[in-house]
Amino acid sequence: MLYLLKLEWLKLNKLLSFRLFTLFYFVLLPAILLTGKRIPELPPPLMTNEVFFIFPTVWEYLGYVGNWLCFFFFGFLSIIIITTEYSYRTMRQNIITGLSRRQYFLGKVYFIVAISLVATLYYVLCALIIGSFSTSSIYWHKVWQNVDYIPRYFLMCLGYMSLGLMLGFLVKRTGVALFLYLAYIMFIELILRWGVHLQLIKHRSMHFYPMNAVEDLIPMPFTQMADQFLSQYGFDLFLSPMEASLTVIVYSLIFIGLAYFVVERADL
Amino acid sequence: MSVLTIQGLTKRYGKIVAVNNLGLEVEKGMTFGILGPNGSGKTTTLGIILGIIQQNEGSFSWFDGAYGRWHRHHIGALLETPNFYPYLNAVDNLRLIAHIKKVREPRIDQLLEMVNLYHRRNSKFRTFSLGMKQRLAIASAMIGDPEVLIFDEPTNGLDPQGIAEVRQTLQEIAEMGKTIIMASHILDEVEKVCSHVAIIKNGKLLASGTVGAIISDDMLVEVGSGNLPALRAAMEQYPLVRRIDEHGPHLLLYLSEEVPPEKLNRLAFEQGLALSHLRVVRKSLESEFLEITAGDQ
Repeated sequence: MLYLLKLEWLKLNKLLSFRLFTLFYFVLLPAILLTGKRIPELPPPLMTNEVFFIFPTVWEYLGYVGNWLCFFFFGFLSIIIITTEYSYRTMRQNIITGLSRRQYFLGKVYFIVAISLVATLYYVLCALIIGSFSTSSIYWHKVWQNVDYIPRYFLMCLGYMSLGLMLGFLVKRTGVALFLYLAYIMFIELILRWGVHLQLIKHRSMHFYPMNAVEDLIPMPFTQMADQFLSQYGFDLFLSPMEASLTVIVYSLIFIGLAYFVVERADL
Repeated sequence: MSVLTIQGLTKRYGKIVAVNNLGLEVEKGMTFGILGPNGSGKTTTLGIILGIIQQNEGSFSWFDGAYGRWHRHHIGALLETPNFYPYLNAVDNLRLIAHIKKVREPRIDQLLEMVNLYHRRNSKFRTFSLGMKQRLAIASAMIGDPEVLIFDEPTNGLDPQGIAEVRQTLQEIAEMGKTIIMASHILDEVEKVCSHVAIIKNGKLLASGTVGAIISDDMLVEVGSGNLPALRAAMEQYPLVRRIDEHGPHLLLYLSEEVPPEKLNRLAFEQGLALSHLRVVRKSLESEFLEITAGDQ
């Protein structure tokens, strides 16, 4: 495993988009949340900007920022690390040089797992630092009240990246794969869920679409809208964390499995 | 020891049969040329034995199965164009190859010197000219001192100087006693570098053997005269003439031994025929190749 991870590192550490995306993530994750400092007054339910920074709600708000960043930067990254190897024909060369197809594929999977871990650790670090500076009196049970956000954050990042990985291996072209990734998450799935699924069956099964489940892992922290939704349709707007986690695990395994199926059989 | 055995290999792309029931055997120490026109299935065959293309039928085995699934660690290969990471420099690219092959001390500087790229070792691959890319690919194939080297059209797209350099490098490698498998459509190249040759066309094996055996020892002489049928009759009586072909306005004689040309001239003159044309044709792999491949349209 270390052999394959080191190989990915040798390939990527000098890749400009890898460096840029990681840098953006590291800078933007705390920076976007901290822009909340500049809006001291908020509409009624929140009142002050304090909730952004104090335990335990810092986990929710920072997580929500991370949700967007992972969707963009790490989703893109997972596509680029696959498709550039097709366009440079280096995947082919890697296998000629001596990797088995399975090793090549596992290298990529290990890498997205490693990135998700690093992203999650950084999220934890930022939350702990911001939280401890902003909370006046720290109670440990408050700090760890939302500790389940940590594994959910990891799954969220992995969920985006496994969709990207599958699109990369299936589509092989950077531009098309990026477009499909964005289009699927931003409107294709929405059309399927709201336009088709809810028209046909008004049922909460409309939540169990892959990227909706990923987003529901770290949902939007304002819950008022959710209450309104509940009274209108008779079921919750969001999946419960446990449902979302299980759904994401199942879809990620399907995405990764499908990509592996393609890699093992294709002519390169 | 058998390095590579191929049996009944077939690859179809829809209705097109790229490789058709191909069988080959490469022994240790051979310099094996796979010769065929463009689109004859050379690269497809190499792709299959290197694991990047899946065959429909047939099988192949490397080193009699001695290394199991990891045979590619003992092969240095370059297929079609050189493929490297354009944003990495020469040294980083070679290090990456060495990492895949699990070579601890890759002697990268030495290899770069061998292919005359040492002065550009810190330049990014994307800044290289085609000749430099090709040379870097040869260096990368040599990493870890593999037992077998595979080259696919190694001089494709190079200028004459580049071709000469690459060929010289190939000959040096062959002299080290490595087994080399080389695909080419350039006959001259195969003839100069290879000890054995297989000729394929439309995915089918047409001939294989030592270069010496494929290129027969016949001496070829072109003769012409005002009366071609009479000349033909005269030459047919000469015991060393194995075969006579019409060759434009002349006759092409296949002589099973070296004969001084004046002897033919005298022979014709004795029959009352004056030769208007007499030329010794060098028999090369090229004419043999054209002959072999022409019969199989």
